[in-house]
Amino acid sequence: MANPAARRQKIAPYVFIAPFFVLFLVFGLYPIGYSIWSSFFSMKLIGNAAPEFVGFRNYVNVLTVDPFFYQALLNTVILLFTGSLLQHFIALPLAILVNGRFVRGRELFKTAYFLPYITSTVSVVVIFGTLFDTNYGLVNWLIGLFSDGEKIRWLQEAPGIKAVLSVILNWKFVGFNMVVYLAGLQAIPTELYEAAEVDGATKLRQHLSITLPLLLPVIFFAVSLSIIGGMQIFEEPYILTGGYDNMGGDANSGLTAAYYLMFTAFKAYRLGKGSAIAWILFLVIIALNAVNRRVTRHLENR
Amino acid sequence: MKRLYSFLVLALVAITLLPAQAFDPAKKYEVTFGGYGDLEKAYAEVFKSADFKAKYPNITVKFQTADFGGHHTRLTTILAAGEQTNDIEALEVGFIAQFVEAGGLTDLNAAPFKAGVFTKDIVKFAVANATTDSGSLIAMPVDIAPAVLFYREDLAKKAGVKMDALKNWDEYIAALKKLSVGGVYGIEHPSAVQAIPLNGGKGGWFSGGKPLEPKAKFVDALKLVEKVKAAKVDGDLGAWSGPWSQAYLDGKVATAVNGAWFGGTLRTWLSPEPGKWRVAYLPGKIMASLGGTYLSIPQTVPAPRKAAAWEVIKYLTTSPNAQLISFRAIDAFPALTTVYKDPVMDEPVAFYGGQKVRKIFADVALNIPENKVSEYDNLILGIWNGAVTSVVNGKATPEAAYADALKKIRATIE
Amino acid sequence: MTRRALAALPAHLTLAVFGLIFALPFWMVFVLASWPAREVLVFPPHLWFGNGLLENWQQLLARIPFARNYFNSFGIATLSTLGNIFFCTMAGYAFAKYRFKGRDFLYGFVIATMAVPGFLNLIPFYKMMVKFGWINTWLPLVVPGLAGAFGIFLMTQFLTNSIPDELLDAARIDGLTEFGILRRIIFPLAKPGLAVLGVVTFVGSWNNFTGPLVLLPKVESTTLPVALSALNSRVDNNLGALMLGNALTLLPLIIVFVFFSKRIIAGLTAGAVKQ
Repeated sequence: MANPAARRQKIAPYVFIAPFFVLFLVFGLYPIGYSIWSSFFSMKLIGNAAPEFVGFRNYVNVLTVDPFFYQALLNTVILLFTGSLLQHFIALPLAILVNGRFVRGRELFKTAYFLPYITSTVSVVVIFGTLFDTNYGLVNWLIGLFSDGEKIRWLQEAPGIKAVLSVILNWKFVGFNMVVYLAGLQAIPTELYEAAEVDGATKLRQHLSITLPLLLPVIFFAVSLSIIGGMQIFEEPYILTGGYDNMGGDANSGLTAAYYLMFTAFKAYRLGKGSAIAWILFLVIIALNAVNRRVTRHLENR
Repeated sequence: MKRLYSFLVLALVAITLLPAQAFDPAKKYEVTFGGYGDLEKAYAEVFKSADFKAKYPNITVKFQTADFGGHHTRLTTILAAGEQTNDIEALEVGFIAQFVEAGGLTDLNAAPFKAGVFTKDIVKFAVANATTDSGSLIAMPVDIAPAVLFYREDLAKKAGVKMDALKNWDEYIAALKKLSVGGVYGIEHPSAVQAIPLNGGKGGWFSGGKPLEPKAKFVDALKLVEKVKAAKVDGDLGAWSGPWSQAYLDGKVATAVNGAWFGGTLRTWLSPEPGKWRVAYLPGKIMASLGGTYLSIPQTVPAPRKAAAWEVIKYLTTSPNAQLISFRAIDAFPALTTVYKDPVMDEPVAFYGGQKVRKIFADVALNIPENKVSEYDNLILGIWNGAVTSVVNGKATPEAAYADALKKIRATIE
Repeated sequence: MTRRALAALPAHLTLAVFGLIFALPFWMVFVLASWPAREVLVFPPHLWFGNGLLENWQQLLARIPFARNYFNSFGIATLSTLGNIFFCTMAGYAFAKYRFKGRDFLYGFVIATMAVPGFLNLIPFYKMMVKFGWINTWLPLVVPGLAGAFGIFLMTQFLTNSIPDELLDAARIDGLTEFGILRRIIFPLAKPGLAVLGVVTFVGSWNNFTGPLVLLPKVESTTLPVALSALNSRVDNNLGALMLGNALTLLPLIIVFVFFSKRIIAGLTAGAVKQ
């Protein structure tokens, strides 16, 4: 091990990753530790002179008697599929289309699709609220052209709330995923397609046999992000259904796990229980990501 | 070393000698104020007034304003961290209950503030809401929202209904039916009335260790919602949405049940043409409160700053000048009862076709019953609103919705 | 019209229809910015510009120190973005291209930190920032996130697939140091990934609300979204100024995106890696 170059090569990765861990130790450790600690105490948000140690009682309470937690978790998982995951079936084809060799105005399209991602959630929700208004909304007006059934009360009834939330989530994040896929497409050498073209493969065939397999790591990446983000969705349902006072609207349809966590801490003032919900949610997210990893491995090995 | 030592001694002496930390008129103070919504506009005018400047030439006030949700999130986060906030923090009545239980705010009844001298002139129910069982006053009421019935005089005349002496909700609903013709909505949404029989939703949720008692009171509130819905007199309009605002602008909403401040919203933008609206007591002369603002000094504020903050709060809450400026600027109804005798209260108001509406506001204000707040109020309110929605949507009878809400509340509180 | 262009017509149509749907709400933000306060919340919603722009602009300037807030937003977002581009590429390169002890565990740890719902962590974090004396400064919004887990995840993913190992070996033989490789080879080749990271970091920092709301209490040291929230009131109607503020908040984001996005698609012919 006398070779200094080899030694440098050994040390280098640790130096390169050090900033994250240093910053985590300085800024992340205490808040996370505090959060774990408080989940084992009967803590209120304010005024804890001597919080009482309760062991796992907060966790047990959430998992057994709490009337909202499972529903909030179920709502989140439903929205994960209809909102956060569904969009990959739109984003990937869109990316391929935009990336097409003969597309004119590529920059314009790309920017148009990305606009929702940069628009603030409040604006987005206000505009969608108008579009889906029962009596005056554009959507019900369009439906009315084709059928004369009863008007759908999108924002007031349970199925409608989930539908609108799903539309918002798809709309908002498709552009983001498209951009991620576009960057991924860059890494696929053009020669592969040229060779396939010479062999007479159709475009669809080319994408199924070249693009998809080679993009699998990127798809894994994007889906992981969707799971992590989707399971922590808070702002969109919170604003759409009118905040803590309404707990997700009709039949708590828009009450997500993060929304309930915030309600518990900031509206019901139970910091300990809120922290417990956060850590249960953390374990769920880790588990879902493990599933994602296994599925991806399985596909890779095929 | 010696200098440090003597400095420490001096500091110690200073701390022990100045526990009262009296307000010093010769010193310059900058008081920071955390508020939401319209408050900055009103209070900035107060601090610009000649009277304030003459009394407190040495105080300037610096604002931190956010929207309603943002303000309370910031305040609770910093108090939860146990750190120093702005010297004065505004609180909406819905948040008062939490602090009554949890602490974190300075007791204004204690020395050196001794607010008791001043609170006798402030509406009783509002003071009671901010007072703990042990008699601490955690915030001073600065404005209140007596609930009244706003109605369109022109539409009422056309429909041949009298809105100013409705004896009960049935009469009200019957009137709404007559008003709801030709694209006019009697009321924006059935849930607009739900909180009224429950004192506007301020307090009374949890008494004697039991939520939602007496049962009849709460089931009746749900039945009222069901009746309004069944009468098909509502516009199904979500408050603060485009269609909601447009319906008012088009003159298509005949009545509104809301706090006095809503008159300001009507006047400034929802229905600015004067002479159309009138104000009446709620059906059966129910007295309720639908909002209100409190001013507090968090405990984490250092003592000398507290002293100046208290002077500002005292001025905003107990000076007729300040109370009337706020009322004119943003329709924040005075919590200070001595103002009710001011000639202003007896003036005809052009926006209401010359009606002397302020007398009605004041009368309601003086008669709002006291209701006990509890630490569970917010939690219960969230669940209760779910019950209201399920009744509006016809998914549950009032009885069933009540039972379901009760079950959920018990399970969550456990 | 050539045959090729004709064949691409359906693709263009699809893109255009979707594009319109996606851009509509965005368009409305700008349209509403030009209507006087009283006419913002109307039905049917405005689709074309009104005549309240000047009035809104004056009201906006009268209510908040707009230029200062803009500067703060811009400074915080720019520093965060530069930091992430540098530190995340470095860490991503290490995780992607080195074999070292504890790599999988450490990488798993980085990813796991993203799965922690951090909503309540602001409370202890605030406490810390008071101790540090960082309240009302840009530091708490820039420094802790300089090497964000998201960016490391992204860059690891991107570099694993787009940099051939042979290239690195060749560079070492040529006598480049480890940092030299990072500077001369990795950064230039990572551009499409860096562009995504840059945009996402900038947008995330720019639209952050709760952080600056709590950590930057002074109106002159806070960011745009927080300062604008003061205009949201019920009696004193500032909706016009608020909408104008929203629209002006969006403008730099579009510019940043257009700037970065040229690099996201370098064009298939100029593919990232020539083997």
